[in-house]
Amino acid sequence: MAKTILAVDDSASIRQMVAFTLKGAGYEVIEAVDGQDALDKANAYKVNLVLTDINMPRMDGLKLLELLRKLSHYKAIPILMLTTESGDEMKAKGRAAGATGWLVKPFDPKRLLEVIGKVIG
Amino acid sequence: MVEMQPDDGKADNQYSDQLVTVGLSNEALCNTEADEYFMSIKVELNQIDRLVSDAVNNLVINFRYISKLTKSHHDMVLAIEKMAAPEGSKPIIELLEKQMIIADKIEQELEMAITSLQFGDLVTQLLAHTARQVETLNIELQRIDRQSNWKSEKTTLQATHEGISKAVNIANTKSKRKPVVQQGMQMGDIELF
Repeated sequence: MAKTILAVDDSASIRQMVAFTLKGAGYEVIEAVDGQDALDKANAYKVNLVLTDINMPRMDGLKLLELLRKLSHYKAIPILMLTTESGDEMKAKGRAAGATGWLVKPFDPKRLLEVIGKVIG
Repeated sequence: MVEMQPDDGKADNQYSDQLVTVGLSNEALCNTEADEYFMSIKVELNQIDRLVSDAVNNLVINFRYISKLTKSHHDMVLAIEKMAAPEGSKPIIELLEKQMIIADKIEQELEMAITSLQFGDLVTQLLAHTARQVETLNIELQRIDRQSNWKSEKTTLQATHEGISKAVNIANTKSKRKPVVQQGMQMGDIELF
């Protein structure tokens, strides 16, 4: 059975590129347009991995990460941050909030799949 | 500059009233002009954002279509290869092998295009950041303009310069951290915690 990934980004083009890459590798993809939308979908579907942007309207990726880690299903699920942010301070915040890894945009599809394969098992 | 002298108190008051009116309308005009100027910058930034977004949307549609066609082409070559083998003539087999190489190369190029096509997101974030900076600068300049006495006779070029510098410094302090530091479209760093 294909593993499901929740891809969260307010940019439609990024969501499409992520979905294209992941679907091509056999994953099922659920898309969310911001943190709030992602939280709703994370509650509705028990996904195997969350790949989220940080700077988004309504709810940012760090808040989403923090809230997801409080949900029993998402305590140990890999959550990767895919963002333009590359500062150490932001990375430290993400790490403290329970992020599994940090990927700086733009992403390379092969490397993205390698990382996902590594953390999703 | 001609200095007008009032003849009596009444005239003095009339003259003062005139000055106040002119002063206020000039100030109002100044602020309106500044507002319009900053607004025009924001309108232009929005225009750039719309153009970039539109171009990215079209490119993504093109990308998906080319990708679909490439997959069909790949499958077709495989099917022809199966039909041709093992009786197929050597030139046909060689031609099909060349076709497979071309199909693989197109796929590799499409993968690279995925990285490049993310430029829209970076540009949009930078434009939003710049628009916020422009807005903050406008607000600070207007605030300092209201608080200062630039219209008084004692106004000097230095005071004007100091006022603008103060506005820029406050705008800089109030501006949020720049969300995009990338200078190119090379793949970003990856770190697993």
